[in-house]
Amino acid sequence: MPKIDLRSLSAGCALALVLAAALPAQAEDTLTVWFTKGFYKGEDDALLALIDRYQKSTGVKVELSLYSTEDCIVKSVAAVEAGTPPDVGYCTTYDFRTTGQWAYEGKLEDVSDVINPIKDQFQPDALATTFLMNGKTGQKAYYAFPIERQTMHIFYWKDMLQDAGFSEADIPGTWNEYWDFWCDKVQGALRAKGKRIYGIGQPMSVAASDTFFSFLTWANAYNVKIVDESGKIVLDQPENRAAMIEAVKSYSSIFTRGCTPPSSVNWLDTDNNVNFHNKTTVLTDNATISIPGKHLDDSTNPSLTEEQRAQAKKNYEENIRTAYFPKKPDGGTLPNLAATKTAVIFADSKNKAQAKEFMAFMMKDENLTPFVEGSVGRWYPVTKSGAARPFWTDGTDPHRAVVSKQFTGGTVPFPFVYNYHFTTVNAENVWAKALNRVVQDGVSPDQAVDEMIARIKEIAG
Amino acid sequence: MTATTVHAIPAAARRSHRRTWTIWGAILLAPYVAVLLVLVAYPVGYGLYLGANPASYRRLFADPIFLTAAVNTILFLLIAVNVKMVIALGLSGFFAVPRWWIRLLLVLFILPWAVPSIPTILSFRVMLNPETGLINQQLFQLFDIFEGPPWLTDPWLAFFGAVVVHIWKSLPFWTLILLTGRLAIARDLYEAASVDGASRWQRFRFVTWPSVAALYVTSVILSTIWTLGDFNSVYLLTGGGPNDSTQVLATLGIRYLRNNALDLGVASIIVAMPLVLPLVFVMVKRLSKGGEA
Amino acid sequence: MKRFLNEAALIAIAIPVVLWTVVPLYHLFVLAISPQDAVLAGTLWPEHPTFSNFLTVFRQQHYYLSNFWLQLGNSFLIAVTTGIATLFVATCAAFAISRLRAPGGRQVMNLALTTYLIPAAFLAVPMYKTMGSYGLLDTQTALILAMIALASPYAIWVLKQASDKLPRELDEAAIMDGASPLQIFRLVYLPLMRPSLVAIGIYALLLAWNEYLYAFLLLSSEKAAPLSVGLGLFLSADDSPWNLLMATGLIYAVPPAVIYYVFRNAMTSGLTAGAVKG
Repeated sequence: MPKIDLRSLSAGCALALVLAAALPAQAEDTLTVWFTKGFYKGEDDALLALIDRYQKSTGVKVELSLYSTEDCIVKSVAAVEAGTPPDVGYCTTYDFRTTGQWAYEGKLEDVSDVINPIKDQFQPDALATTFLMNGKTGQKAYYAFPIERQTMHIFYWKDMLQDAGFSEADIPGTWNEYWDFWCDKVQGALRAKGKRIYGIGQPMSVAASDTFFSFLTWANAYNVKIVDESGKIVLDQPENRAAMIEAVKSYSSIFTRGCTPPSSVNWLDTDNNVNFHNKTTVLTDNATISIPGKHLDDSTNPSLTEEQRAQAKKNYEENIRTAYFPKKPDGGTLPNLAATKTAVIFADSKNKAQAKEFMAFMMKDENLTPFVEGSVGRWYPVTKSGAARPFWTDGTDPHRAVVSKQFTGGTVPFPFVYNYHFTTVNAENVWAKALNRVVQDGVSPDQAVDEMIARIKEIAG
Repeated sequence: MTATTVHAIPAAARRSHRRTWTIWGAILLAPYVAVLLVLVAYPVGYGLYLGANPASYRRLFADPIFLTAAVNTILFLLIAVNVKMVIALGLSGFFAVPRWWIRLLLVLFILPWAVPSIPTILSFRVMLNPETGLINQQLFQLFDIFEGPPWLTDPWLAFFGAVVVHIWKSLPFWTLILLTGRLAIARDLYEAASVDGASRWQRFRFVTWPSVAALYVTSVILSTIWTLGDFNSVYLLTGGGPNDSTQVLATLGIRYLRNNALDLGVASIIVAMPLVLPLVFVMVKRLSKGGEA
Repeated sequence: MKRFLNEAALIAIAIPVVLWTVVPLYHLFVLAISPQDAVLAGTLWPEHPTFSNFLTVFRQQHYYLSNFWLQLGNSFLIAVTTGIATLFVATCAAFAISRLRAPGGRQVMNLALTTYLIPAAFLAVPMYKTMGSYGLLDTQTALILAMIALASPYAIWVLKQASDKLPRELDEAAIMDGASPLQIFRLVYLPLMRPSLVAIGIYALLLAWNEYLYAFLLLSSEKAAPLSVGLGLFLSADDSPWNLLMATGLIYAVPPAVIYYVFRNAMTSGLTAGAVKG
């Protein structure tokens, strides 16, 4: 064995020490960014391109990690708890699960100084969801960046409708008649032909976020107010309680009259899509246009046959319709319940100044728009300019045209924007629990709603 | 080599040899001791520390899902373990019959246990889907039954579905264990019994059962402990069931973890310990009694 | 006549056993060869069976399959590493306890047994936090270490049982020849224990391959995760292609089935020795 040269050993150690000391200094010039992995390659490509441009123009190195939807949130929560969060985080479920709570607990950096100068480029509804309360300061400020949005749409199979002997002109525009049409007329006609189908795919499961998105949309149809703008619970007020009982009754009646597949009480988020795609249901609602989007993807999928691709194209262009909800029972237009996806800078970040610069860069039209449009319609822009682009407005794509009209018609936010505890209410799916109490346990809607209110008060009161 | 050669080693040599052995013994044992300390003792300690807050237990008992999960777990144990072991006992008799095709069948029979859970349990999940699953679709196509049984949407059927899946997965292992026990019984005992004119049932009661009884009891206890920890059967089949109605203790911990209520997750496990630890204690005694060299 | 009835009775038992065993696996296969639009048609045999699903999996042509080969490789890596490491730890420990009569050996054995008996699912949450505090969360190391901790107790138990059956005279003879403990280990112990070592190595390997709960808790980043986690991610897909999921699952199920069948005899004798006395 060769003798170890003491001098070279100590030289090596010294070098190692110098490098070790230099590394933290270098870390100042690296930005840690965590994003949700895009569903489409286009989204990731656009993101990588804008990061590349940012690195070239500022010389700051960006370390990007892409995570799957669920993973992103789990990791972020763990990192925040451990005190080692990334500098910038963007998970598509932050708004549902954590943004409000983090803002309240002072875990997010106040980014008003970045947003205020560019306030006017945002759609007011979108921006309002990032104006959050900080429990430590007792003040509201901008604690997140709006990136993209989603809202509820109705989807149905036009060919199945025609198969039942109806045309689109037959679809009623009023609330109760609308649901009766699909449940009794369309379902009845198709079943008479011997098909084992259900009119509506109504999410009922405690395990699906679709359920609360869908149910809260219905609740809006009955003018239920859950919280006021200061976050105080108003659901227990008599008229709201009564309206909620109506909403529960109406939503669960779709299940009890056999209009939706019984297994909808077990559905995961994917299942209402699956049941729509395989034509078990004629109509379903969903919070993005990923339903027709899947067929658009299939039409260019090399692993499918020519026939399947052609069929998928036909499905996207003709057979599947994206549609509006009917008018509310009182005759008014149903407000669009919209969620805005948020990106945040963490208070424990080591590079806040750089993080702010990065986000300011990303918020520029030339950077944000390709990212949003890379999702081929799944996400809607938050900026006025983004919404005005031909991608949405030129009318060549029937699905995006509907989405665009819904958003320009105005949106309402989720309760958790005003009271962050409602993210827990959603996570526990108190809404689905009430529905299941009615359909599975046979409890009266009144009692189910009272239990709901009690639980909400426990969590958010 | 006879035992007397041992005494030929001089006493001093024996002492120093003893010391070397002791040192090496400690060295070779060290890796596992490290594993025990770092990967078992620390997590267990950490778990106890996380579960030290009495407020967690108050919240836990106030959660109606906990009560459902506790009841489900006990029912699951009682039904799954006993049904499984009785079937295993019976099937072990079947597989003990000397036929070439039965031996082949045994090879096939092991598959559910050898193949990983995720694809197989998910296969069950798709098969049992009330609308689109194989079973109800066939009922519709063959017998014109429009609404087949609500396999996964009725809480009780879903629960029994999970029990069935659990039995499907673990039956081969226990059948094999009991089969090995049966095969250890000397053939001539059976022959003597036949000569004495014993019926099949009498042969079982007086020859087979006395020999496998101890093994059967050990297996039941072991199976109970393991069934307590069966996460996959419930999670992959029902995900906790329609409206959290099929949750068991094993899946409950994970549900709390997902909802960021880690302390409740740990509390729900600690609460199960009074049931688990006595069983474990009994098992350790049984196993180490048999294993003392 | 009696013989005929006997055979008939045996066959009457055999048929339900075969159906019970095979139907879910057959169903898995049927789903894997069904084209996408017919996957939920619920037929006994698909109208247009196809192997294109497997091609899609191999070519990674789906959002959730984009890391298939990597994840398959990870599964192999984690399983083999766990197998080897467990074998190392357990063999050393069993030798120490059984042949060398190491100090505290019996207590360690009992502790090992206790660990083995506590359901793994109960340790999962504390283990998750522990790996977090070691800073190992979301690394392959965390999963491998956890698997070693779960597999070692049973491994040591079985190896100790098998070791106890080896005659002491062999050791004494070796000592007479001036052998050190390490030499006894290498030249006497290991060769004799080979069948059990094979069984235990395979056991640990399969345990790690089949693991789902610990895998998704401790190792969820897509590029480092094993295939079991990748399969689980399918369930959160927005279009849930069951046919692709089952095709991937079938591929995932083949290695353990093959390994089990190849090493079947070693496995049954090696593993049942642990629970059966004598």
